[in-house]
Amino acid sequence: MSRLLGLVVAASLLASPLHSQDSLMARLRRQSDSLLGSWREAEKLADVADSLEQVRATAGSDTIAVGGLRIVVNPSPLPWRQAAELAWPVIDSLYGSAAEDLPQHPYIFRAVDPDSGVRRAVLHVGVEVPWDLDLRATTTVLLTTVTAPHFDPALANWLGAALRPTLRPQDERAVVFVLLVTAPAEAVRRCFLGDIARCKDVLQVGDSTGLLARWYVTPAEREALVTEAFTDYFARGATAPSLQRCRQHHDDACTTLLQSLPPGTLPRPLPQAAGILLVREALRAGGRDAYRRLVARPSAPIGERLASAAGMDIDSLVVRWRNDVRAARPKPLALPWWASFAAIGWTAFFGFCALRSSRWRL
Amino acid sequence: MIAMFRAVLYTQWKWSRLIVVLGTVAAFAIPLLSLQGAARADRGALQTQDLLRAVQSWGTLYPLLATALGLLMAMAAWAADHRGRHIHALTLPLARWRYVLLRFGAGFVLLAAPIAAVLIGSSLAVLTATLPPGLQAYPIALAVRFAFAVFVAYAVFFAVSAGTARTAGIILVVIAAAVLVQVVASIANLDVNLFAAAQTVLLLGPGPLAVFTGRWMLVDV
Repeated sequence: MSRLLGLVVAASLLASPLHSQDSLMARLRRQSDSLLGSWREAEKLADVADSLEQVRATAGSDTIAVGGLRIVVNPSPLPWRQAAELAWPVIDSLYGSAAEDLPQHPYIFRAVDPDSGVRRAVLHVGVEVPWDLDLRATTTVLLTTVTAPHFDPALANWLGAALRPTLRPQDERAVVFVLLVTAPAEAVRRCFLGDIARCKDVLQVGDSTGLLARWYVTPAEREALVTEAFTDYFARGATAPSLQRCRQHHDDACTTLLQSLPPGTLPRPLPQAAGILLVREALRAGGRDAYRRLVARPSAPIGERLASAAGMDIDSLVVRWRNDVRAARPKPLALPWWASFAAIGWTAFFGFCALRSSRWRL
Repeated sequence: MIAMFRAVLYTQWKWSRLIVVLGTVAAFAIPLLSLQGAARADRGALQTQDLLRAVQSWGTLYPLLATALGLLMAMAAWAADHRGRHIHALTLPLARWRYVLLRFGAGFVLLAAPIAAVLIGSSLAVLTATLPPGLQAYPIALAVRFAFAVFVAYAVFFAVSAGTARTAGIILVVIAAAVLVQVVASIANLDVNLFAAAQTVLLLGPGPLAVFTGRWMLVDV
């Protein structure tokens, strides 16, 4: 009997914290539901405010439609239609069939007098542009402000920049060539020399484990990274002694410090331009539906998405990218032919001036 | 005519041999110094940018050397005539334009030495260096550019030296007038920028000093 009583007492003692925990959970759930409800209400209000602002911003404006572009503009001398006619083929060639979805994201521009000091109504929708831009500048505005359709956060995070058309693809490749040659990382150098596995590492399209050892191969690189990029970060607190040891060429200290960095803060050895060029290469290889395939599975690894977009395996795509970059070596620093002729001409001209000098005309 | 040229060349060599020798030594040394440190085969990826930075820094000396050589050679070519008030030249059975042409040509011949030194020094520096993959050497392009720069500088200063004090005065007055107009325009808040215009005319496109501008890189991507 006393054992039964003991069991009942023990059960009631154990149940009381569980009961209180249950009530705590319920209270927290209610609070989170309330917060969610408030957030949804705020979002609805923001949508209403946005749509009202959009109505205000587009009042008295015209809509220009060229291809999939919808440009809402106030009356101005800017050559919007001609610019759109130039920009549309470039945009269409990048996004392919996905460019058909661009009417969902109309441009809203307000042309303003750049020389006027008159105070204007502040608009929170659209972009203000000076109304004295020429055709080229207006086209550039359209190309650099286009909204990439279905651009997901994972892709944006990997690219580190928006994927937009470029007017000078050859220049972009030349920039990546220079980056491949001058990047202070052995992995990048090996990529330049043809090690495709290293290319995948530095482009971050392959295995993402052990990035530190894959990106910064030599102890000298790791030491340089710590002592040049993160000196202030590691100079205080518990990491200061490790920083001192790292400065004394102890690789274990440098590696430990770099491994302690928060995720995503380790600098990439190859800047974002290389990744953007890889995406362009995939889209070029994959045809008109390539962009749709690229954005179809936001949760898939970037390598798979690029391979799917390009319609080939990732290794082949990276090889294509590398060949493309290597073929884009910048022009050598030789003088242009006309500069040589100009120099000879000026030499002859000044020589002639010397011949015609008046010193002996006595 | 060839004998006359030889005589002019010889006298000009006597007056300017120190300039030629020192200029040649400098022209030979600069490319070698600019690639110092690139001779190590164990150089890592970290040093590529440092190497390019060093080459670019040393590269600023080529146009300076070209200008200095042009100036000093032109001054040396006319110094003796100016001192003797051109009496010796006037006694020669030679038209003035021929005499000036001989002096002009002799200067070019003597300037061939530093130009050759740049070419030899650059080639030697490149041969002894181990360049990182992706970088290329441009010794011939550099020497050609240096040659044009030396010739233009020499021609400009030769023309100025050959002129009279009156000519030099006119040039100075024109420059001073341009400066004055610019200052007045700035005070009056007028949109006039003579310096920018002069820079465009002289340094850009086919301007006389365009060959001096840009990056003088012995090694680049």
